[in-house]
Amino acid sequence: MNSIGITLAITGAVLAALFAGIGSARAVGLVGEAAAGVVSVDPSKFSKVLILQLLPGTQGLYGLLIAILLLSRIGVLGGGAVELTTAQGLMFLAASLPMAIVGYFSAMAQGRAAVAGVGITAKKPEHSGKGIIMAAMVETYAILALLVSILLIYNIAI
Amino acid sequence: MSTTKYASAVAAVKAMEGTLLTRNDMEQLIGASGQSEFSALLTAKKGTSADESAETVWSMIKSYAPKSRELEILLYKNDFHNLKAALKSMISGREANQYYIRPTNLDLNHLSEILAEKSYENLPVHIRKTAQEAYELLVRTSDGQLSDSFIDAETLRTIQKDSEEYGGDFMQSYALLTIVYADIKTAYRCSRMKKQRAFLENAICGSKELEKDALVTAALEGTESLMTMLESSGYSEIAGLLNESAAQFEKRCDDVIMELAQTARMKSFGSEPLAAYYLAAEAEQKNLRIISVCREFGADRETINERMRMLYV
Repeated sequence: MNSIGITLAITGAVLAALFAGIGSARAVGLVGEAAAGVVSVDPSKFSKVLILQLLPGTQGLYGLLIAILLLSRIGVLGGGAVELTTAQGLMFLAASLPMAIVGYFSAMAQGRAAVAGVGITAKKPEHSGKGIIMAAMVETYAILALLVSILLIYNIAI
Repeated sequence: MSTTKYASAVAAVKAMEGTLLTRNDMEQLIGASGQSEFSALLTAKKGTSADESAETVWSMIKSYAPKSRELEILLYKNDFHNLKAALKSMISGREANQYYIRPTNLDLNHLSEILAEKSYENLPVHIRKTAQEAYELLVRTSDGQLSDSFIDAETLRTIQKDSEEYGGDFMQSYALLTIVYADIKTAYRCSRMKKQRAFLENAICGSKELEKDALVTAALEGTESLMTMLESSGYSEIAGLLNESAAQFEKRCDDVIMELAQTARMKSFGSEPLAAYYLAAEAEQKNLRIISVCREFGADRETINERMRMLYV
């Protein structure tokens, strides 16, 4: 059995969960810091800033989704891992990279946009929706990366 | 990716911007019928007295950024003023407390004690050497004006040195503006009073915008020569205000600092918005004092508005 192929594919799943998860954790933490600053002055704004804090958390979920789909596709989750060539393993690894890389950077960028949104909510709570929309725009690129990773994972012939 | 420092503090400061007085609030205060209405309006909006505004803001900023050497630079003017007050009180035997300006980086409860015991190591690093030298100068010469002039010059040099060492772009710009305007004012006054070169060289700090030697030479040649020199440096407009009124010059200097503060208002991270908010609180305190004093002396609305500093919000 060629163990290199399956190892590469599993590494792909790990990278997707790892980088997207780190990006989300850092970004949610950053927005949480800013949100805490606002709530310390005006606790009534808690619900508004909480939405902004949640936004960059989605990349971590997308990374998890890609990891599960990939592990499921190669049979690891079912307990019967399929045999993969090195080339197939590399293809699965490559398939996970859009989510891993874009996931990390889009989470961080969304975190910064969400912190700016927290600033809008702090100064002008009636315009907090605009801050949410601006931060949500970054999500587009995480979703595109998610789609590319899913399409690749399901279209690699094994 | 650039720094994300002080996210929490900046967000808190943005939430607090709502408590700063707006132009409408100021107009209401100017139009208040009596002192009781003035105080009631102020308390309703701020929940604190005018004198406490900057101190409260500083306490809040320090609670978020307790180890920021950069932000401490904002209080250097107060620190050095307090040093002058403490030294004078030692000589005159008067109580210094009423002359102190707050907030400050100094422990005002023990400042006089520290100076009397010459235990300068108990002072913050930035003021130690100046305190020792100013004390010795005062004891040696008994010339309060000379000692004040020395401390004033050291204030600028310390702001310049520490802003270069600890400050970012914003703090360096703040330091530069502070030094340039102080130098212009000193050079102008010295040229009018025909001060000697030695005095000018001690009193003028110099900066990359206005070199010390050029400024000293121009001031020694007279006011006209100084204005001609400033014309080529791009500061002629503001320096020209000195010919009209010192109050207008001071107002313009404060407004330029406030324009700088407003550039930091849009930022979500870093020490700049914190520094900007402190400067806004300081300007607000100054405006409230202007309104208060002008009302006391029966100045009309137009005069008060002329003297009011630019608002942050």
